[in-house]
Amino acid sequence: MSLYTSQSHYGQPPYSHYSQPVAHNGYPYQYQQPPPPIPPAPVYHQLDPVSFRREYTNRLSELNVNSRPIIQNLSMLAQEYSRYAEIVAQCLEAHIRRSYIKHRQVPPWMKLPAFYLLDAISKNVYEPYARVFAVFVVPLFLETYGQIDENTRSKMEEMLLTWRTGNPQSKELFGVPPQVAIERGVWGDSGSSHNSSGFYNGSGHITKAQVLSELEFTLGQKERALQANPYDSTSQNHVNVLHQLRKLVEAGVSQEELQQILAQLRSLVRGPVPQPSPATVTHANWQPQQVYSTQPTTQPPFPSNVPYPTDGVKGEGSHTSIVPPSTSTPTPALAPPPEIANLLSTLLKAGVVSASGTPQGAGATAKEEAAKQEIVENDTLEREASRAYRQAILSQPIRLTSADITRKRPQIVEFLYDQLAAQCKQCGIRFADTIIGKKNMEDHLDMHFRQNRKANQNIGRGHSRSWFIGVEDWVHDLTNAKGKGRADGVQRLNPKAAAAAEVAKRDAELRAMFVVVPNGAEATPVSCPICKETLKSEFFEDNEDWVWKNAVMKDDRVYHATCHAEALASTNSLAARLRFELATGRSRSTTPEAPSLRATPPPSTLRDSKSKSPSFSPSLEAKLAGTKRKVDQNDSTITGEADGTPPFKKLALSPLSAPS
Amino acid sequence: MTEEQSTSTKEWHLEPETEYRFELDPGTSLAIKLVRGHAEVFGAELAEGKQYLFGSECKAAIFTWKGCTVEISQPSTEYVSDETPMAAYANLHIAFEQMRVRALRTLHGSPAHDDDPSASAEPPRVLVVGPENSGKTTLCKILVNYAVRAGQGWSPLLANVDPSEGGWAAPGALSAAPVHSPLPTSSPANPLGSAATSAPTSLSSNALLPLVYWYGHAETKRNPLLMDRLIRNLGDNVNDKYDFDTEGKVSGLIVDTPSSFGAGTGASDHRHKLIKACVDAFRINVILVVGHEKLNVEMQRIYGSQLTVVKIPKSGGVVELDHTYRERIHNYQLHTYMYGQIIPAPPGITQATVGGEALTELTLAPSSTVISFDDLSIFRIGAETMAPTSALPIGATRVVSEMQPVPVDPAQPGSGLLNAVLGLLAPPNPDENERYDEEILDLTVTGFLIITNLDIPRRKMTILAPNQGSVAGKTAIVGTYEWQDQ
Repeated sequence: MSLYTSQSHYGQPPYSHYSQPVAHNGYPYQYQQPPPPIPPAPVYHQLDPVSFRREYTNRLSELNVNSRPIIQNLSMLAQEYSRYAEIVAQCLEAHIRRSYIKHRQVPPWMKLPAFYLLDAISKNVYEPYARVFAVFVVPLFLETYGQIDENTRSKMEEMLLTWRTGNPQSKELFGVPPQVAIERGVWGDSGSSHNSSGFYNGSGHITKAQVLSELEFTLGQKERALQANPYDSTSQNHVNVLHQLRKLVEAGVSQEELQQILAQLRSLVRGPVPQPSPATVTHANWQPQQVYSTQPTTQPPFPSNVPYPTDGVKGEGSHTSIVPPSTSTPTPALAPPPEIANLLSTLLKAGVVSASGTPQGAGATAKEEAAKQEIVENDTLEREASRAYRQAILSQPIRLTSADITRKRPQIVEFLYDQLAAQCKQCGIRFADTIIGKKNMEDHLDMHFRQNRKANQNIGRGHSRSWFIGVEDWVHDLTNAKGKGRADGVQRLNPKAAAAAEVAKRDAELRAMFVVVPNGAEATPVSCPICKETLKSEFFEDNEDWVWKNAVMKDDRVYHATCHAEALASTNSLAARLRFELATGRSRSTTPEAPSLRATPPPSTLRDSKSKSPSFSPSLEAKLAGTKRKVDQNDSTITGEADGTPPFKKLALSPLSAPS
Repeated sequence: MTEEQSTSTKEWHLEPETEYRFELDPGTSLAIKLVRGHAEVFGAELAEGKQYLFGSECKAAIFTWKGCTVEISQPSTEYVSDETPMAAYANLHIAFEQMRVRALRTLHGSPAHDDDPSASAEPPRVLVVGPENSGKTTLCKILVNYAVRAGQGWSPLLANVDPSEGGWAAPGALSAAPVHSPLPTSSPANPLGSAATSAPTSLSSNALLPLVYWYGHAETKRNPLLMDRLIRNLGDNVNDKYDFDTEGKVSGLIVDTPSSFGAGTGASDHRHKLIKACVDAFRINVILVVGHEKLNVEMQRIYGSQLTVVKIPKSGGVVELDHTYRERIHNYQLHTYMYGQIIPAPPGITQATVGGEALTELTLAPSSTVISFDDLSIFRIGAETMAPTSALPIGATRVVSEMQPVPVDPAQPGSGLLNAVLGLLAPPNPDENERYDEEILDLTVTGFLIITNLDIPRRKMTILAPNQGSVAGKTAIVGTYEWQDQ
């Protein structure tokens, strides 16, 4: 009955993809025959295997251009029929192989869309497809790679790199051996070392998603370290800084800044892990981050991309050297023990997080201008389209009178159907057959994707009705601003809700921390040095010990984890917050950390004195109350869900986007 | 099974501008699939090849402008009609689009050249009035759906001031929400799409963010003063929103009203006051009178000089609904509010969607908790039973006025709280100086609670809440609605 017959195998909490347990074994590294698809219950499907195969093959044959809608439709179909994963795999493999043999004269990039489809299905549906594809992906990739031109190769390489962190836990999409095998085949034995720089420098373009995914990864590591060692204040500190950094990146920074953040990040991650020699790659330490340090030896051609201009100082190799030497940035070779806390300040000093927010590299500026240009063009197109619509509407000879309304023949079909030729096959919403319309439709399909994926991960999680929003939020919710609101139901996250969700999540994590009560100290009341409230001890069944919940140990003193984090944040994030506010050009009350919210008295309503309802959103109220409810265990379960301004749930970010 | 599937489905070929109407009996459900052509349910287009489920005694129609073939899983009360008022509704839509376009142009300061200079530059702010069973809510839904489908990024506000209808909340509520995508129809329990849950949804219409006030009664005549006040509160907030969001204002507003506004019998004085309240509060510029000659004349006489009053035909498809039906709908609504929309698929139908969402995501888990009597302050607005002011002896005044919040003590036997539906209020103004006596009349509702058990000796009560959020220290208002979880 369910659309999503494939249960997620990885026990991943839906909203925090970096807080996975340390030793996960969820990803089945199977390279032999994958298990047969779940036998379909005879009633529960509309297509039998034979007609499904026919249908899928037919649809695949349309995939001879790089069209996102087609790819998305095909992968949705794959998701819907994941019980026929085997069939999908066979069709896809056959399609890729056949398209070569049959159409020798056809441009070789023809295969790229099919690989993009494979990529999209593996990443978005993941289970069981990644497993099924892993069987043949190595020969297929290498075979294809040998047949195509340089341009297409570079695209394949780009895709290959995203596979390194392509699975839901940011690990290798098809497992380590296939990944290594492909990389060896593509770049030779020392492959995994020089390719990366080829990608990251050669293209010169670092995407936000890329940086974010690395950030997430690092954050995950640090948080695991923190979990293993709850009162390690250094890790705690790192986590905080990384969180801030992530917000910074999410808010949008220039190319150059991304580059530098990335470089810093890598040097930090590299620190504690012994540098593996590329020849002895093992699972344990084969991590994408490690390979970036080495110097590039080849640069695959990227015709469409301008090489990234470093700001005059540096060679193309090490990213870290981009940071002006005066900032005493650790070089990769002699990275000291990861002084991650310095990261932010170094970046600040280096001007990465510049106050003006203007990018400094010429290339970045050019790129930004190009992007602006595109926006302007889109705007013009959009304006023209809506002008045409307005004229058509105004030319309708209808007046708002009973007579006109009832007697005339409406031209409605033209407006509701003909004008909007493209239709979403999932929900029937229509879009104009124009550039803008197509773009909107792509966004819309993306949204379906995300929702399907989220639903997939959320099975069995239990949902509930959210509280209604308060007056202030309702009045100021701009989701329906014309042009911004989309007909497809993408609810924009207001920054407030996003920040609130972030805060709630962090809060829940902090509250889950505990300190084991020393023997004999059970009866002694211990109070948090910050808030002076007594720490509540309780019996923790997992390790059969009495623990203090929501607690961290620091310098032999036990603090409330929440108090401690708050205190840390208020000293650490001050500079960041300041920068951020300057950079975005306005003060956002909801920026990085909760304390700003908590410290600020609620704004007085700008209402006149007539009978009004000056109430506040429950979320704000809950946040205010949250400072008081520290130890109550229930709180940690409540915060995420129940305080809910509904847009919370929209907040899952997918670190990697399918290439297209 | 496959055989059964083929025998229980039936194909209907609909000519252009006809509709297939169906009515479901209690406990049955229906699946409809568009085989080819274009079809819509109250203005929301169906996607081809998807199974759409209907349940909870849904009475609806599949309309087609250009003809279509639909496959119906399980025939019920059904017929095809070629007499629909859809052409008139479509004309209305186009007329409103013209208003939106002009309003947008005025907002952007573009010159009006090719156009009737006398035309107003105001976006449509529409009040729909009409007698019982005239299809007001359906008309509102069609107009909103056409507006969001125009491809212009409109997101009109839909306001519901019919307390017996309840909109997205529970019956007894007045509410308004911006709509971004077509409102699906699947059951009378959420006729206008559903309010946000923690589940992911594909359609924003299934995650609406309404602003909700709690009136608490089905009948507007029960406490017209309170109705009046809540209407004005809702209107004030709508106008605040428009002041803040001038682009959004262009999409306009559609207000659905209770049938008591349209029924011109008996004590009609409060009726006119409430219509006046709506016209003022929402700055109405168009009144649509659905299929009622006398009401039309009445509206023309009162408002004809200041705004446009249009009489429009009512659909022949509307079903006369009796009192018990409405009661059952209230039960469905509260059940849906707490537990989500669950429609069992007819045999042989799988992969179906309810209102555009996959079945799995629609089940919700409310939370039942035991709280102390002191955790929640409960009020009733006005006295529990109240004679109309006109029925009081001459010269007599009320002991308790209609607008006075009266604390209700759960410890008192006969408090009437068992099984009562409570509107949980948003927190009052945190600034003590801004507070005033009747503030709780002006607070919005954050959710609904049901008191499922009262333990007077231990001063405890069990409440059913939509989620696990704490209600401690909050204030709630009790009305006359009751609900028992069956």
